[in-house]
Amino acid sequence: MSEAEYHPLPVATESHKDSETEKYHAFVNLALGLAAITGIELVLVYLPFNTVFIFTVLLSLSLFKFIAVIAWFMHLIYDKLILTLAFGTGMAIATGTFIALGFLFSRGNVDMDAITGF
Amino acid sequence: MSHTETEIPTPETTHAHEPQVLKPERSRLGLMRPDHGKSVIIDWLTTVDHKKIGLMYGTIALFFLLVGGIEALIIRTQLAFPENDLISAQRYNQLFTMHGTTMIFLAIMPLNAAFFNFLVPLQIGARDVAFPRINSFSLWGFVAGAIVINFGWILQALEVMGLFQASGPTAGMNDFVPAMGWFGYAPITGINFTGAGTDFWIMGLQILGIASLSAAMNFVVTIVNMRAPGMKMMRMPVFTWMTLVVSLLIVFAFPAITIALGQLMFDRCFGTNFFVVAGGGQPILWQHLFWIFGHPEVYILVLPAMGIISEVLPTFSKKPLFGYSIVVFSGAVIGFLGFAVWSHHMFTTGLGKVATAAFSLLTMAIAVPTGVKIFNWVGTLWGGRVRFSAPMIFSLGFVWMFMMGGFSGIMHSSAPADAQQQDSYFVIAHFHYVAIGGIFLAVVAGIYFWLPKMIGKMWKGNLSTWVAIFSTVGLNVTFFPMHFLGLLGMPRRTHTYLEGFGWETYNLVCTIGAYILAFGIFLLVVDIIRCFRSGEPAGNDPWDARTLEWTTTSPPRVYNFAKTPIIPARDALWEHKYGPENRRITFEDDHGHGIHMPSQSWMPFIASFGFIPLGLGMSLMQAGIPYMGYFAIFGLVLIGMGVALWAIEGPGGYHLHPEEDAI
Amino acid sequence: MSDTATASHEDGHASLIIDNKKLLMWLFLGSDCMFFGTLISTHLIYRKLYPESFEPTALFSLELTSFSTFILLMSSFLMALAVSAMHKGELKSFRRNVIGVIFFGLIFLGCQVYEFAHFVHEGLTLSTNTFGSTFYMMTGTHGVHVAIGVFWLICMYFYSHTGKMDAHESAIDVEVAGLYWHFVDIVWIVIFTAVYLIEFI
Ligand code: HEM
Ligand SMILES: [Cu+2]
Repeated sequence: MSEAEYHPLPVATESHKDSETEKYHAFVNLALGLAAITGIELVLVYLPFNTVFIFTVLLSLSLFKFIAVIAWFMHLIYDKLILTLAFGTGMAIATGTFIALGFLFSRGNVDMDAITGF
Repeated sequence: MSHTETEIPTPETTHAHEPQVLKPERSRLGLMRPDHGKSVIIDWLTTVDHKKIGLMYGTIALFFLLVGGIEALIIRTQLAFPENDLISAQRYNQLFTMHGTTMIFLAIMPLNAAFFNFLVPLQIGARDVAFPRINSFSLWGFVAGAIVINFGWILQALEVMGLFQASGPTAGMNDFVPAMGWFGYAPITGINFTGAGTDFWIMGLQILGIASLSAAMNFVVTIVNMRAPGMKMMRMPVFTWMTLVVSLLIVFAFPAITIALGQLMFDRCFGTNFFVVAGGGQPILWQHLFWIFGHPEVYILVLPAMGIISEVLPTFSKKPLFGYSIVVFSGAVIGFLGFAVWSHHMFTTGLGKVATAAFSLLTMAIAVPTGVKIFNWVGTLWGGRVRFSAPMIFSLGFVWMFMMGGFSGIMHSSAPADAQQQDSYFVIAHFHYVAIGGIFLAVVAGIYFWLPKMIGKMWKGNLSTWVAIFSTVGLNVTFFPMHFLGLLGMPRRTHTYLEGFGWETYNLVCTIGAYILAFGIFLLVVDIIRCFRSGEPAGNDPWDARTLEWTTTSPPRVYNFAKTPIIPARDALWEHKYGPENRRITFEDDHGHGIHMPSQSWMPFIASFGFIPLGLGMSLMQAGIPYMGYFAIFGLVLIGMGVALWAIEGPGGYHLHPEEDAI
Repeated sequence: MSDTATASHEDGHASLIIDNKKLLMWLFLGSDCMFFGTLISTHLIYRKLYPESFEPTALFSLELTSFSTFILLMSSFLMALAVSAMHKGELKSFRRNVIGVIFFGLIFLGCQVYEFAHFVHEGLTLSTNTFGSTFYMMTGTHGVHVAIGVFWLICMYFYSHTGKMDAHESAIDVEVAGLYWHFVDIVWIVIFTAVYLIEFI
């Protein structure tokens, strides 16, 4: 983070402005990309491709969106490593836990006759 | 707790020597800030001082320790003889549920929080925590949660007197106190099976969770950001390290229970099907979500204890902690692995072969870093000049007793063995060895070690030895026989038993042990009161200790350090006292700035106070008391208002210009 | 330094690695991963257990959901611009962008209210079956997050008119609000794929 922020409101040094302008371009490109990806996803689910293929593509597209927003919009790549650690630990624990949890449930363990709700 | 409060010097008295007279200012809301007031009560209610907050946590937690202890004594008395009918089965359920919940959430966690609050800023050379007002919010949130959880006792008393009956969705169920075990397994928590007690439990735990989460985030930020210059991560005292690990565990483990409790609340209040079997809900999901939180929770309880021990042992062996970095590292590994073993509480539910094997192996793996720590503690003692002062006696007790609890833990990490032990008294023996033999002894060691720092008075006499003897003998007499009871097949949570199973003698011995232990705790309370009333001045460093907190006065002044210390080495004070010249603690020049103190505030108190109407309203609504929905909404409004005004009023602050400290 | 600066700045501690509030927010977001992880995995687990209990494709309107996803992504974009404007000290541009974010946030909430009303009308309620319970609770919690974010930003907007904005502190405050907003957005990215799109393949 540059020193410039510590100045009173209207003042900003040139170099700081430059880096903000650079970020601006990154943001615009990213926004366009994200919109395009959402469009692709929407079309993709209707296409008569192999399910596994579509599934994989959807997963990677949403992963890309996810990481891109974190990295650029949320400034994580411009920021200190400790923030990545703080968030990454939570993300990693959550992912690991819930993937494991998903595997622990299987239909074989359910007594369908006991359920009267539907 | 009133007597402790008045005993502690208020800021006014500590600042009597200061020339300037401080006047409260107006906040951005235009209201007077409650700074520099004359009223002691207002001062404590609005305080943002981590030391006062720590003392309040400690006092309230000790109170709940006694409450939980009395509940336990009633349980043990009921079990002393076969077919005893001192209390009904229903009352028995309430007692063991509230005993577990109280001890874990209202006694041990806040006792740990008391130490975090008091010690961490002092140990890292900070003026306060990163967010003093959030700290106050956490304290009062904890109090609100405690009140909500225990409120059922009042309704229950009214019901016994014939003054109250449920008429709402839980009509006909007269259990107004939680009665489904501290882990609240579904489906007994469902609306068809339990009364308003479950609602109190849900709302109370939810509030306690919010308080713990906010406290934990606060401490992570404090430890990462507020360290004095030179206090590198690997120079921090182990206790601070363990606080960091525990806080991260809270941050990442509590959301699971928050959601699970939310789902349960929706099941009860709004007819969802998360855990309702008839609607397709899976009770087993509750078990998973609970233990995803629950296993990290047991490490949340024990890691601070390990931190305390890692401070006490080096001090009283006059040696640095053996293998500092290994101790820190294994603490972190325990924390991380703690997320990967939750299903060892569910071996007997039939997880499938692969899952059972995996969780069994991971549970065995977690014993490795635990064992490493024990070796390091023993290594610290080895060749040291050991002094058997009170804190040391309890710490040695911890090492031994905790190890015994660890052994039975490893025994039920093996799934086939656990199939025999699960839900029997063997498990009770396991976790009471880690909880009482481990955490409780460590906390007592911590009290004996740090109370002179906290209140500035030194212990008198050697009552502590008797505390140690009675509590250690008591806990072993109580819990060792439970191993046999478990293996003889006595199930846990059974309110009475028949003659002829060979359980009678063991149970009677356990009950006698419980009274011995209780007498030990009684002596502890007596000793603490004696210390408060007639202790001699403690001086800055009564134990010839090693870490930064002992450089401050006892009790430390509001601003902790007159000037920010610069830390040259690990074990800063020890190096300062006995190390080479270049390891002296020096102080930063503040250029006449003075010390910036945060202002006190009513807002955190108001915001967390709102949890009481919210929690009680939601629960009493279930019991059918009219208008309780509005009462709950009123609570929500209060919380929202408190937070909003808190944001608007601004942190404020004032400057102090104390004279320089000398160490 | 103004009196609004946090104690940490006053103390000038050397180890101040990163702004306190920012670290707090990132920790909260890390914690929120577990929070939403629990909600989403509950939904997926029940979906996997009872695939035939409910057929959401008849109910879901992918067009509407894609539209709200798009709206939320664009609001994230504007939020990034608002944060960057604040760092440059351009109050006007900050206000313009924040108004945009608030507007988009309200549209998103509107879509969600419409969606819920439509679903309830079609007979899917909280207590219909596990699908109803998990779906409403998950998307509802997300909606509450969005609503809190909108409220927060509205407060910021009005605050920017009071003239009390302090260059450094307010830039951090806006950035922290922005982090929250973006997080709400990425949670939706996951929900959009894992809850909506998947049903259609
Ligand atoms: C060496 C380390 C440890 C191992 C391997 C271990 C293992 C286990 C296992 C496998 C169980 C499940 C037993 C059953 O229900 O059949 C269990 C229960 C329990 N453990 Fe540990 N444990 C260890 C340390 C601790 C510590 C440090 C604490 C807490 C302070 C603790 C607290 C508990 C509690 C409270 C329960 C019982 C929960 C309940 O059913 O109500 N354990 N432990
Ligand atoms: Cu466990």
